[in-house]
Amino acid sequence: MSIFEPTNNRLLDVSDLFVEFRTREGVAHAINGVSFSLDRHETLAILGESGSGKSVTAQAIMGILDTPPGYVTGGQVEYCGVDLLRLSERERRRVRGAHISMIFQDALSSLNPCFPVGWQIAEMFRIHRGLSKSKALEASIRLMERVNIPAARERVKAYPHQFSGGMRQRIMIAMAIALDPAILIADEPTTALDVTVQAQIMDLLKELQAESGMGLILITHDLGVVANVADRIAVMYAGRLVETAGVHEVYADPRHPYTIGLLESVPRMDVARQETLPAIGGLPPNLLAMPEGCPFNPRCKFAVDGCRVGEPPPLTQLASAEQRYAACWQVDQLTDMSTAGGQR
Amino acid sequence: MKKTIDTNSVLLQARDLVKHYPIKTGVIRHTTGFVRAVDGVSFDLHPGETLGVVGESGCGKSTLGRLLMRLEEPTSGSVFFDGVEMYRQPLNGAAMKKLRRNIQIVFQDPYTSLNPRMTVGDIVGEPFKIHPEVAPKGSRRAKVQELLDMVGLNPEHISRYPHQFSGGQRQRIGVARGIALNPKVLILDEPVSALDVSVQAQVVNLLEKLQAELGLAYVFIAHDLAVVRHICDRVAVMYLGRIAEMGNEEEIYDRPTHPYTQALLSAVPVPDPTLKDSSNQIVLTGDVPSPANPPAGCRFHTRCWKLKAQGELGDSAFTACSEVLPELREHRDGQRTHLCACHVPGPRITG
Repeated sequence: MSIFEPTNNRLLDVSDLFVEFRTREGVAHAINGVSFSLDRHETLAILGESGSGKSVTAQAIMGILDTPPGYVTGGQVEYCGVDLLRLSERERRRVRGAHISMIFQDALSSLNPCFPVGWQIAEMFRIHRGLSKSKALEASIRLMERVNIPAARERVKAYPHQFSGGMRQRIMIAMAIALDPAILIADEPTTALDVTVQAQIMDLLKELQAESGMGLILITHDLGVVANVADRIAVMYAGRLVETAGVHEVYADPRHPYTIGLLESVPRMDVARQETLPAIGGLPPNLLAMPEGCPFNPRCKFAVDGCRVGEPPPLTQLASAEQRYAACWQVDQLTDMSTAGGQR
Repeated sequence: MKKTIDTNSVLLQARDLVKHYPIKTGVIRHTTGFVRAVDGVSFDLHPGETLGVVGESGCGKSTLGRLLMRLEEPTSGSVFFDGVEMYRQPLNGAAMKKLRRNIQIVFQDPYTSLNPRMTVGDIVGEPFKIHPEVAPKGSRRAKVQELLDMVGLNPEHISRYPHQFSGGQRQRIGVARGIALNPKVLILDEPVSALDVSVQAQVVNLLEKLQAELGLAYVFIAHDLAVVRHICDRVAVMYLGRIAEMGNEEEIYDRPTHPYTQALLSAVPVPDPTLKDSSNQIVLTGDVPSPANPPAGCRFHTRCWKLKAQGELGDSAFTACSEVLPELREHRDGQRTHLCACHVPGPRITG
């Protein structure tokens, strides 16, 4: 697939993506005009809560959205200058795995319980590269060693249930990096794991990224993990990007009320206990019944009357800083009203 | 409202609690071994206090919670509630019923712990059917509405079904059911780990508010160390069915002496990119050994970074690690003491 030769550092350009789910209860607008890009060597964290559209974004990029009920209704996903959304299913299948691959949160349900793990890793080589069974198995042993699975040669014939949660996630990673993809999408890769194992997996991902220079899209709601590995952060709320910036800027000086609230509400282990946590009030958004105006306005402590009517605020560049974007009508007033930024 | 902890009296006392589950194999299901889920746990819980129980999955923390409610029968050991031995009484007896009234539980998953075919009013009011003395029949609806109001739900939603609520609201329903009988102890088994970050803080605040208002004691079982630090007065760190270290929140988080606690704390990513220097982090290799076949000696010695670093020097203090099971005992660190089960306890020297 020589058309996918990266011409420069830019790997992925998602622009103005729209996804909706047509359900019996009505149309849920899961993604409403999301745009972002990814470079080589870069780690982009997409941060958001359940229902924010972060996983749907990944599924749309991979082309694994369940259709029906999910439909991509607009926008482009450009990989090396080619709009993936315009490719046929046959062409997309060649991109998947070989160029863009993905690991999922729940490794146990992502692996087939009826086949040995080595066979499942080898499948990548047999189908995409046309290797023979024995050669593919050899290659999968090498991969298992690369993701630090001890005694790979003995365990290649073991079944998923014989591995621990951390080891299963390593097998998922092995399958994902088997064909040296340019982009790896990790959808909550460590949410189901213990902290000690989480540290091992995140280290492994960092190491693999340093070796191959792949771009990593990390989808998570864990602010701790994001702080440790991300270069850039895109915060999603109700299917929209509400803030994008470098990792240091977001944590030191959040500019969207949702990001501010999120950072405040996380209990921190390195800080002695406070009386009460400053929680974000209200409920996460219901995609079938979105409020008028800014989707965050019912929970926003800075909201004024103008936020409750009309169109949602667009993601606009901040006057004060380059490469920083926020979607808030009150963004210029926020810095005066909020002291949260200064504390962090 | 400030909460009060009465450290002079003991509400719940666990002594050498052991729970082994038999492993049965073969056609005739004979027992070939035991999973040592909880293997000798002792602690005291004071009125109004929050005791955190933390540990990796499989360390026995949930089994411990179930033992404290007598949802499981222990293999050996005892639990005293208000000085009364819990496991001496016949199950389903009047005394057992009284005891259950005082110890209630809130489960992790608000999606599966509420019956989808019951209304919120039925779910929260169900405890009154078993304990009619708490709320006489005529006053039940009012009592349920009062409970819903207490946990921050709209009392008018009493006839709604669980699926009409979000995850955070469902967990509030679970909490309302837990406090319906005015218990003295509430066991919280991972109450916030299934919730979104912004909602998690709301539920944590609710739990703190209820504790101050009702004088509840909590056993807070969780794997999220940051949440535990926020809500707990004392923390017990469990590893493979045993308590590795126990002390007040400050001692555990700022001056841990057990190598496992130190590794666990260092593995938690701090939400601050300026601190992402990982040189301070201890990455434990491998997984937790199987509780069906725990290592001899100290349970942690197979993964212990301290043993690996210093044991090679032939320090004689470390020879006991693989042979003798360390007891949980007072360890003096300057002026303060707290409990630690390690042969070579001590603060971590970073440099």
